[in-house]
Amino acid sequence: MSTPLIILIVVAIILVLMYNSLVAKKNQVDNIFATIDAQLKKRYDLIPNLVAAVSKYMEHEKSILEDITKLRSEANRPNISDKEKIELDSKISSALGSIIVAVEDYPELKANENVMHLQRSLSEIEAQIAAARRAYNQAVTDYNNALEMIPTNIMANAMGYQPKELFVIPENERKNVNVSELFNR
Amino acid sequence: MKSISELTDFYYNRLYPELEILEAQRKAIKKRVINIGIIYLLFVALIALYLYQNVSLDILSFFLIFALACTKWLYAYLIRDYSVDFKEKIIAPLITEIDKTLHYAPTQHISALEFINSRLFGTKIDRIRGNDYVKGKIDNIPIEFSDLFAEKKHTDSKGRESWERVFLGLFIVSEFPKNFHGQTIVLPDSAQKVFGDLIGGWLQKNNSSYGELVKMDNVEFEKEFVVYSTDQIEARYILTPLMMQKLLNFKKRTKHPIYVSFIGGKIYLAIEYNSDMFEASVFHSLLEYKIAMEYIQTLHLAVGIVEELKLNQKLWSKL
Repeated sequence: MSTPLIILIVVAIILVLMYNSLVAKKNQVDNIFATIDAQLKKRYDLIPNLVAAVSKYMEHEKSILEDITKLRSEANRPNISDKEKIELDSKISSALGSIIVAVEDYPELKANENVMHLQRSLSEIEAQIAAARRAYNQAVTDYNNALEMIPTNIMANAMGYQPKELFVIPENERKNVNVSELFNR
Repeated sequence: MKSISELTDFYYNRLYPELEILEAQRKAIKKRVINIGIIYLLFVALIALYLYQNVSLDILSFFLIFALACTKWLYAYLIRDYSVDFKEKIIAPLITEIDKTLHYAPTQHISALEFINSRLFGTKIDRIRGNDYVKGKIDNIPIEFSDLFAEKKHTDSKGRESWERVFLGLFIVSEFPKNFHGQTIVLPDSAQKVFGDLIGGWLQKNNSSYGELVKMDNVEFEKEFVVYSTDQIEARYILTPLMMQKLLNFKKRTKHPIYVSFIGGKIYLAIEYNSDMFEASVFHSLLEYKIAMEYIQTLHLAVGIVEELKLNQKLWSKL
């Protein structure tokens, strides 16, 4: 076999490997996002029940309850982008956190089995979402790194891949002590 | 659960009469061990000299290996009574003092099946021995642990057998408070330590017998451990930021390599002490603070994982 042919084959193999690794990274991000999406939907489905259960008692938190209902209907709109989903998720997380903290101030609510049941379901889903967010961020970091690092950046550019955004996890989860305790268990 | 200082009090106050009897017993046995040891050594040296001068070196080395095995056996034989008394009168009451529901069986061990189920050390194990089996419930969470010594057999082309040590240390099994379906395995990070981030990272990635490599978002944890899992999300569901911190703290307290796996609703924790724990030596007094603390701390550490790793805080879906 002639030398140029060998070089050509080696180059072709490297290109194929680079292409495949980029596609694999992109698919990993998409897969994990799909899981998060499913979990977020599960959580959105619980919101109306929670609002209905607590609104009778919560006089001072009416605005939070209205906000969260509005956010939920926004999140349920068809054709919203991944970026919007990520933003809505962080707003809803913090609003839900405030509601759960507020429940502590109402003995009637704490004694209400329905509310407690909802609260536990929420914290379970929240723990799963927290895990999925972290997995997503790792996948996105791997993907973004490949987009910026030599030599995959040239290939990624040619393929038209765009960098993706990370979930912002820390602040609102740390602020709501009570909630984060439940979530991070 | 009792604290370490409460247990130390118990050891030196309540167990003191027993300790005194055992101490007298130990001194007598130590004398015997030394006397018999000297005679035995002279005897071995004489035979070795004879073999060296008159027979081949091969036979001599074979004899020396045999003599070494005999020494071990002889020592175990001489201290047998003392060793049994020590476990019955010191270790057993200590375990009951930690928690009344704990059962202790000095000659039993964790089953080979559990060891293999943990997937921590491969599935090809040819011999398992162990002792000091403890089983019970802490805060209603089942826990069991024992000393375990697992080996693998190798046969070379000439048909000669040799045994390779797979694990020697403390093996703990408990229930994990969250539901999960796959397997997640946490191992000491040897590759990254030896070869650095770049090559070590590449080696880890290609070690797929455990599952996919999971990169964790805690720098210190990543340095100490490497995580493999069948599910990227589930691995993080189990290893929350808090859990990672707790495992790091646990690692610091044990000062030995730890291996952890989460499979079938259980947590398996192996601490590689590379020695048989809870054994009495005739050359150290049981009254020595350092010796006493070793027994107490090891027991406390093993039973304490339920509280330490918050295994008693079940998520409600598992109630």
